[in-house]
Amino acid sequence: MTEFKWVGKVVPRVDGVEKATGRLRYLTDVGLPGLLHGRIKRSQYPHALIKGIDTSRAEALPGVVKVLTHKDVPGVNGFGIIVPDQPVFCREKVRYIGDAVAGVVAEDPAVAEAALDLIEVEYEPQPVVDDAEKAMTSDSPRVHEKGNIHQEVHVRHGDVEAGFAQADLIIENVYKTPRQMHTFLETEGGLAFYDEEGLLNVWVGSQYPQRDQLQIARVLGLNPRKIRVVSSPTGGGFGGKDEITIQTQLALMAFVTKRPVKLWLSREESVISGWKRHPMTLYYRTGFKRDGSLVANEIKIIGDTGAYASLGGPVVSLAVESSCGPYRIPHVKIDGFCVYTNNGVAGAFRGFGVPQSTFAMETQLEIAREKLVLDPIEIRKKNVLRRGDIAPLGHTMTASVGILNTLERAEKSDLWCQREKLKSQTPFPWKKRGVGVAIALQGTGLGVGIPDYGAAIVELTEEGQFIVRIGSPEIGQGNMTAYAITAAEALGCDLALIKVVTGDTRNSPDSGTSTASRSAYTGGNAILDAVAKLKPKLLAVAGEMLGVDRAGLRLAGNRIVSPQGRGITLAELGRYLREKGLEAGARGNFVWPTADVQIPGAEGLPHLVYTYVTQMALVEVDTLTGKVELREAATALDAGRVLNRQGLEGQAEGGMVMGAGYALMEDIIIEKGYFKTMNLSTYIIPTSLDLPERHQVELVEVLEESGPYGAKGAGEAVMVPISPAITSAIHDAVGVRLKEMPAAAERVYQGLRGEEHGQ
Amino acid sequence: MNLVEVEFTLNGERQKVIVPPRTTLLEVIREHLGLTGTKKGCGKGECGACTVLLDGEAVLACLTLISQAEGHAVTTIEGLAKGEQLDPLQEAFIEEGAIQCGYCTPGMILSAKALLRKNPSPTQEEIKTAIAGNLCRCTGYVKIIKAVQKAGRRSAEVAAHD
Ligand code: FES
Ligand code: FES
Repeated sequence: MTEFKWVGKVVPRVDGVEKATGRLRYLTDVGLPGLLHGRIKRSQYPHALIKGIDTSRAEALPGVVKVLTHKDVPGVNGFGIIVPDQPVFCREKVRYIGDAVAGVVAEDPAVAEAALDLIEVEYEPQPVVDDAEKAMTSDSPRVHEKGNIHQEVHVRHGDVEAGFAQADLIIENVYKTPRQMHTFLETEGGLAFYDEEGLLNVWVGSQYPQRDQLQIARVLGLNPRKIRVVSSPTGGGFGGKDEITIQTQLALMAFVTKRPVKLWLSREESVISGWKRHPMTLYYRTGFKRDGSLVANEIKIIGDTGAYASLGGPVVSLAVESSCGPYRIPHVKIDGFCVYTNNGVAGAFRGFGVPQSTFAMETQLEIAREKLVLDPIEIRKKNVLRRGDIAPLGHTMTASVGILNTLERAEKSDLWCQREKLKSQTPFPWKKRGVGVAIALQGTGLGVGIPDYGAAIVELTEEGQFIVRIGSPEIGQGNMTAYAITAAEALGCDLALIKVVTGDTRNSPDSGTSTASRSAYTGGNAILDAVAKLKPKLLAVAGEMLGVDRAGLRLAGNRIVSPQGRGITLAELGRYLREKGLEAGARGNFVWPTADVQIPGAEGLPHLVYTYVTQMALVEVDTLTGKVELREAATALDAGRVLNRQGLEGQAEGGMVMGAGYALMEDIIIEKGYFKTMNLSTYIIPTSLDLPERHQVELVEVLEESGPYGAKGAGEAVMVPISPAITSAIHDAVGVRLKEMPAAAERVYQGLRGEEHGQ
Repeated sequence: MNLVEVEFTLNGERQKVIVPPRTTLLEVIREHLGLTGTKKGCGKGECGACTVLLDGEAVLACLTLISQAEGHAVTTIEGLAKGEQLDPLQEAFIEEGAIQCGYCTPGMILSAKALLRKNPSPTQEEIKTAIAGNLCRCTGYVKIIKAVQKAGRRSAEVAAHD
């Protein structure tokens, strides 16, 4: 076995001290002299034509510097990663209740707030499109001129009817999933200003500074080089800060006023205007042989993307990709539709469509398993993908496939081994316990057909430190620490000598977005490339300085030493390089490998490298109220080589809790286009009191050859299968089979009553 | 405009502010005095990110009017470390990996500080109750709870040595 100095070890986060002491300045903490305050006037209706906007009274209010509308947008009045269909400020129409109609910049926040009420907008309300399936019909009112179906994906592989003809059992069901909110603790915000060099700076926590820069440039009609975007650090993202949040409006405020402006959304405004997880309706018809093997799957998925596209198309594509789970299914017919409505906006969210279809597929499998009287682990083992298999989409699984390994590890967990005992330990006769298991795969990276690359610059300073620059921002996931570990291991130096810079268009190269579980893998590979170029150069110069052959030289701690024990410090080397005007850094690049086929019309499908995970749940259901508590959980994760042990455990723990929230309590309710859950008192996420007594995390290291030291991504998969594991456990406890989440007390209670009446 | 004059100590230093009476302690700390370690996640008492200590008790700075601080001692996250020597809670949070995005961290640490002051060796349940009003979306709380336990043990050891 390879011995590592840093890889896989427990190390403190590189940003730990700054965060624990409160010294770290988030971008919403930064102030500047003469700072103005921005506010956004949002729509009054979920769907309406704009007949007129009168800003004169607001402009007349003392303290107001500027009122902005669509008229002030010099470039394209739109943003959106795939299609720029979302206006910076609406002109002729509003499509959701969070749509921006105007902006106010004022000397004082209270004045800005007061000015909002003085802006008069004349609307002509339109019929509200609030049901994605109805929106697909030809007689539905249109959210956008081009029609309500934003994107369709169709996968055909094998012969689905022939597959069903072979089936001994066909299970047919419809599933519905909730609208989950990211609930990052820091709401969207930041500031924009011109610096001494004349660059327009936009400092807003986000997941991809270089793409923000391009989107801002398009809106302002400016050369992107005239804009600097800083997007690190960020107080949580989870996908909700991948798309533009406030950057274009804020940039415009500073661009027009030529003064520094701060814009920071209140929690309510964040809820109403921000991205959410797509609610989906999933139609499944699945064919099984008597022995449990899967033969056919016919699936239709409808995703409600709300008013604007953002990443809705790719999200539905990923739901399609994962709709058959990590299983071999020879005959499939899968259709996905991403549909516009007036229900807020949905976009990227950790898991990216995979939690929705995994819930449906795993429930299908459980229903069949019960009818066929099979063991939950055995039926999965029989069907799971192995390396070299043809996946349901038709591509070959050429990268590492660890799903079986995670099942085998989870089977040995305490939860599973002691399940009968744990189930019998209910404190009251009206509380019933059950266990459930579910598995998932999650594609990492952006997939076929989408440019997916990384870059890193590693340089030695005169102080003897190595600076590692990578654009993909630190959003809490810990990529800075993963980068430091990878660099220290490759260089052979102390971890403390590495300083990481992320999330700044001026000071870190474009390495793509901090999404799709891609940042550690992508940046890690780019670092290895940079170090492979830099290290021989450094050793050669050190050899010159020491007057010895470079062949025997090596880096150790903060020195470069020869076999004879002679050496120089990295600081001496750094100073020497500077004095001689020699290159002290190197740039590394990486391009993602991709699958052997491409699914036509499906953004990014398929992926090549997947993360695999098995999760288990022990729940306790109160049969008097329907309330469900998660008592224990287990996770077995294959994310390849573990780079940062504590960081990966933290992802698994946090992801599991977020997935449990999705299963049990989280849903943003929108009725006729209006939000009913507006804040953190009505939208409930798990607190410390909702934690299970125990969550066993097992890291299964199936090495992925294409990854840095064999690592893959992990951030998303860890939240996926826990939800169906929980709903299966509820069924095991009380016989209620949920086809809709969340498993809120009312829904479970209704199920219990239904069971009693024999429904 | 109607203004109030309020005197209190902040992290051991006397402060005097003259502000409108509806100003919150959070606004004074962050905006008037420029200490941004105290975070704002909602401004409505729903998230716990703004937790500070008022005479050692954990309070939500966003729900505390500045006049309620009159004559009292306020401690924020900036006031915990003694120079470069971190508080045992800060050390334990770093060692246990209890920090991810870090936005909940200052409030979380101060809620834990108030608990440990009264109860240096709390049970898991006591810790969970003490931080129940502090939302964390990243960590799943597991490592936070471990960190609080560890800090409690460490402070007890330090106290025993003194
Ligand atoms: S900011 Fe005070 S509780 Fe959220
Ligand atoms: S560490 Fe991000 S909210 Fe707690």
